[in-house]
Amino acid sequence: MKLTDNVLEIRDLVKDFPSVRAVNNVSFDIKRNTIHCLVGENGAGKSTLIKLLTGAMARSSGKILLNGEEYSPHSPRDAKQKGISTLFQELNVVDQLTVEENLTLGMEDTTLGFLRKTDKINRIVSVMNSLEPSIHPRQRVSTLSVAKKQIVEIAKAVATESDIIIMDEPTAAISESEIARLFTIVKGLREKNVTVIYISHRLDEIFELGDYVTVMRDGRHIDTKPVSVIKERSELIRLMIGKTVFEQYTPKEGACKDAILQVRNLTNHKLNDISFDVHEGEIVGFYGLVGAGKTELARAIYGADEYEGEIVFKGRKLHASPDKVIGAGIALVPEERRSQGLFTVLTIRGNVPVMNMKKISRNGFINAAQERRATIEYIDKLRIATNSTEKEASKLSGGNQQKVVLSKCLFADADLLMLDEPTRGIDVGAKSEIYGIIRRLSAEGRSIMIFSSELPEVMNICDTIYLLFDGSVKDMIRNGCDIDMEKIIHVVTGGNVTSGDGGA
Amino acid sequence: MNAKSGNVTSGDRGNPEMLRGQRDRSDAMRANIKSLYIYVVLILIVVVFSVVKLGQVEMFGRGHFLSPDSVINLLRSAVPILTLSGAFTLLMISGYIDLSVGSAMSLSAVAFAWLILNGLGFLPALLLTLVLGVAMGYLNGLLVMKLRITPVIATLVTLNLFKGIALLIVPDGLSAIKGSAAKAMPAWINDYARMDVLLGLPWAFFVALAVIAVLVVVQKKTILGKYAAAIGGNRTAAELSGINAVKMVWVLYIVVGFFAALAGVARASYMSLGDPLSGDGMELDNIIAVLLGGTAFSGGEGSVLKTIVGALIIMCVTTGLMTVIPAFWQIVAKGSVLLFAVVLNHMLVREKVNA
Amino acid sequence: MSVEKKQVRQALGRRLSNESFNTLFMIGVLLALFGIACAAVPNFYLPQNMLNLITNNWFIIIIGIGVTFLLITGNFDLSVGGVIALAGVLSVYFCQGANVSQNALANGLGLPYGVAVALALLCAMGIGAINAFFIARLKVPSIIITLGTMMLARGIAQVVTRGAQRNTSLPDVFGVLGNLSIRGTSIKISVLIMIFLVIVAFIFEKMTVSGRRTYLIGANPVAARLSGIKVGRHLTSLYLISALLAGITGILMASEFKAGVSNRAMGYEFDALVVSLLGGVSIAGGFGSVLGMFVGAVILSVMTTSATGLLLSPDWQFTLKGIVTFVAILAQRFALDRRKG
Repeated sequence: MKLTDNVLEIRDLVKDFPSVRAVNNVSFDIKRNTIHCLVGENGAGKSTLIKLLTGAMARSSGKILLNGEEYSPHSPRDAKQKGISTLFQELNVVDQLTVEENLTLGMEDTTLGFLRKTDKINRIVSVMNSLEPSIHPRQRVSTLSVAKKQIVEIAKAVATESDIIIMDEPTAAISESEIARLFTIVKGLREKNVTVIYISHRLDEIFELGDYVTVMRDGRHIDTKPVSVIKERSELIRLMIGKTVFEQYTPKEGACKDAILQVRNLTNHKLNDISFDVHEGEIVGFYGLVGAGKTELARAIYGADEYEGEIVFKGRKLHASPDKVIGAGIALVPEERRSQGLFTVLTIRGNVPVMNMKKISRNGFINAAQERRATIEYIDKLRIATNSTEKEASKLSGGNQQKVVLSKCLFADADLLMLDEPTRGIDVGAKSEIYGIIRRLSAEGRSIMIFSSELPEVMNICDTIYLLFDGSVKDMIRNGCDIDMEKIIHVVTGGNVTSGDGGA
Repeated sequence: MNAKSGNVTSGDRGNPEMLRGQRDRSDAMRANIKSLYIYVVLILIVVVFSVVKLGQVEMFGRGHFLSPDSVINLLRSAVPILTLSGAFTLLMISGYIDLSVGSAMSLSAVAFAWLILNGLGFLPALLLTLVLGVAMGYLNGLLVMKLRITPVIATLVTLNLFKGIALLIVPDGLSAIKGSAAKAMPAWINDYARMDVLLGLPWAFFVALAVIAVLVVVQKKTILGKYAAAIGGNRTAAELSGINAVKMVWVLYIVVGFFAALAGVARASYMSLGDPLSGDGMELDNIIAVLLGGTAFSGGEGSVLKTIVGALIIMCVTTGLMTVIPAFWQIVAKGSVLLFAVVLNHMLVREKVNA
Repeated sequence: MSVEKKQVRQALGRRLSNESFNTLFMIGVLLALFGIACAAVPNFYLPQNMLNLITNNWFIIIIGIGVTFLLITGNFDLSVGGVIALAGVLSVYFCQGANVSQNALANGLGLPYGVAVALALLCAMGIGAINAFFIARLKVPSIIITLGTMMLARGIAQVVTRGAQRNTSLPDVFGVLGNLSIRGTSIKISVLIMIFLVIVAFIFEKMTVSGRRTYLIGANPVAARLSGIKVGRHLTSLYLISALLAGITGILMASEFKAGVSNRAMGYEFDALVVSLLGGVSIAGGFGSVLGMFVGAVILSVMTTSATGLLLSPDWQFTLKGIVTFVAILAQRFALDRRKG
């Protein structure tokens, strides 16, 4: 196997889903022993591309060459064996084993089943030591911080002689000092004959770490260039958002209404001292990228997680438990609709009335006719594509599933609706339908909070937008006036709010 | 790099090194308690039972809990659980359970007794019974790993199956496979589990000790032990590292079946007969032993050695209680011990995540 | 638009739910087995026999209700057998005349029958409360805890009866409930109570909010909580109900035999599990039906009666139960997969 200049060559890679082409003829090279960054907005196609590289998905067409040879992994395990390791956000270490045991997992030398102490172990441990000497090999992994667990995973990947280590938003869950240490390690990987594909939305990290950067947008490859060539942050941002034309946002008429929700000093393990107001009939957006704290904020308000601080809703203090919050008039469309929002084994009819059973029952007895009527009403209203109320929720498309979850929340007659990533994984048609529904609800007088990592979405429908980064609210923008898109991206990628364009 | 605006105040966003130092100390204390408590409990129980009747019997004298006769008796009746619970622990470490071990043991006892009664020598009968054990374990593995039936349900099915087969082997009218006027059970059947070999203890006991030693080594020093913990701790991570979880756990089920058979042989030998109900409740005893020993019910960690100590605790409690309270208090006692073990296990196994 | 709406309304018609499909499937299995039994087993097709098929498992069916609902939420209740014994024994003990005899086992608390029954039921629910505490509050796996409470319940029964039974010094009223039968037939009140409870349970399952919540919790406990369902409270209620049902069964059986026996109902918890599984309950949660459980109980009846009719020893029941459960699980999985796929 000759050592090519490029460790990875991607040629005309395509990945089609039933309603969308997620990866659209992407071609670029990754040079050996570099840190190659991958950036792009949500929905740009980064994660799909990574899934193709790690074997979690099969490509529709195109070619990938690893070390000059054709590469078609059929599973993440296969990819790992062929030389591409991935650091996922869900750490793949066994907490109950020691560091040494984790490092050697699957690679042990044995005699008749007995684990042998060989040089291999020493070699692997020394790789670990060279990365981070403070980790003791006999330590139980459960006692390590998230950052150190990451380092153990990196050490394992290096020890298994991976050609490429993919790191997907590795700094999302670790502290600043740990980030510095991680960077030292990542930079050192080049000398260990490892190429790093680094995905992050924190643009500062790109400038600090990256040798090369690839920008993707709308499933296409936009550009790949050496980081040194990019002089300013804004240049990168412009490549990321391109000439995106946003649907015209129509500003709201009418006088400013009262605040229906007042959040003060909300703090928990992820959130830092967040305060804001939501007014009646307002559509408020919370925009930020991965790890910004959007879901944590939604869950805290909903009472699904603990927090410190005060929340006042409709003039009364809000108690932190979902059933009380729902009772007060707030409903949440959760981030993961399949695992948190829907009862996938049940039918549409089984799902819709769940949050407000009182409306379809009397004295605890369900009125089947009312139930069916209500389901049909929402199927009509939200145009859920089905010919029966009895269709299993798992059989619906993503867009229709989301509509069912929306119906659930609307049925709760909530005055305030919180939508966490409302159109993630949904095709364009369904997306605009959902936006229409949201606008209609706002016109009817309901207040809406949207937590999203898709800028066009937020720009499209929100009246007020709060920018989140790292668990804090960084800025607030009123939609409609001259919106400086670059400034927004600048803030949510870690840039300083006051200075216009942070230095690289 | 641009400075992040805003203060980083809450939670583990603070210097993790410093906070972990404080946590380290309490973690270390926790770890110590975790590894020692069970020995303390065992000693306490022995002390309690030794002391409780001191008014009536002499220390170490006849009838006393720690008298030689009593100790030998206890150890002899503990042979089946000592033989079996090590393997049971390994299976539980991988996150899987086998509720059929009691019936498997009964069936093995019946089979063994039947073979002996019908003329086979000890070794051939033993070997055939062990093959039966492997077959039973294989079946369990098939149902759970291949057909992917929930372990609880699958092993309840085999529990009934094995019990049924055992009952069917025993001829109608008899309660067990035993000697009769027509066909006598050879007296040497007792040799394995009753005959004094050393210090009053029989072969079966030393075999059990050997089994324990082997399984402790397997758990700590072989790949089977390590992979069991990996699969129980994080199956995804294990499989990503190339471990074949299906194969590994299947092997563990076979191992459990094997030792259930060995335990059955010991039981049959001890009682000179094959009783199809002799293993009833064995799965419960094993579960209590495992819980006392600190094995997490979801798997990932556990200790063969501590389970053995747990098994000894159960044996002490059951035998000890027999001398102190009437038989009809036994079940209440056992139920309470189980609930106590659960509470204990719950308090100790709760992991402090994100240290 | 209104025409369109009407068409839409018609199209959104009713379709058979998966549970109903499964129950129908099992009824089919039942009929098939029944047919085979009629052919193969001598004297099977007798009217009295037919009746017995439904009535001789009445106790399993009653406790099966509680067990099925808990299985739908993904939890076990193995304590029911012990609770039956406990409730029966306590109802006797509370009711036995006080200080009537030298024999301790003949002396009780001398309470009136009604009070004794009420107290016994309360104690039964106490076991249910222990279950609920560990399972709903401490989140300990239900299989372990209910094994423990089963032993606790049965153990207390053993202590109260000193390992045997209590059957003396009882007022005449004690034996009424369990032995009352419909005039002219051999159908006991217990059977009627069973039928009544099954109907109530069925209504609960299909038509009440609380019943619906049971399925929701089983189908997706996370979504259930986020949808405002108080999961812990609901599970507590289910465990209390299960214990209550077992208690009622215990009272009826004690009354029938005019005795509180400490080893009554041995193994009933597993039978309840078996008939629930036969009835289509999925341990993954969110699926199952009391009606299915009823059909499962009749299937079990057919099997055991056939076994007796074929002069097989009662020892066959264990093997039969094991095989039947296994086949049922696989067959249901197969049938449902085919339907979905």
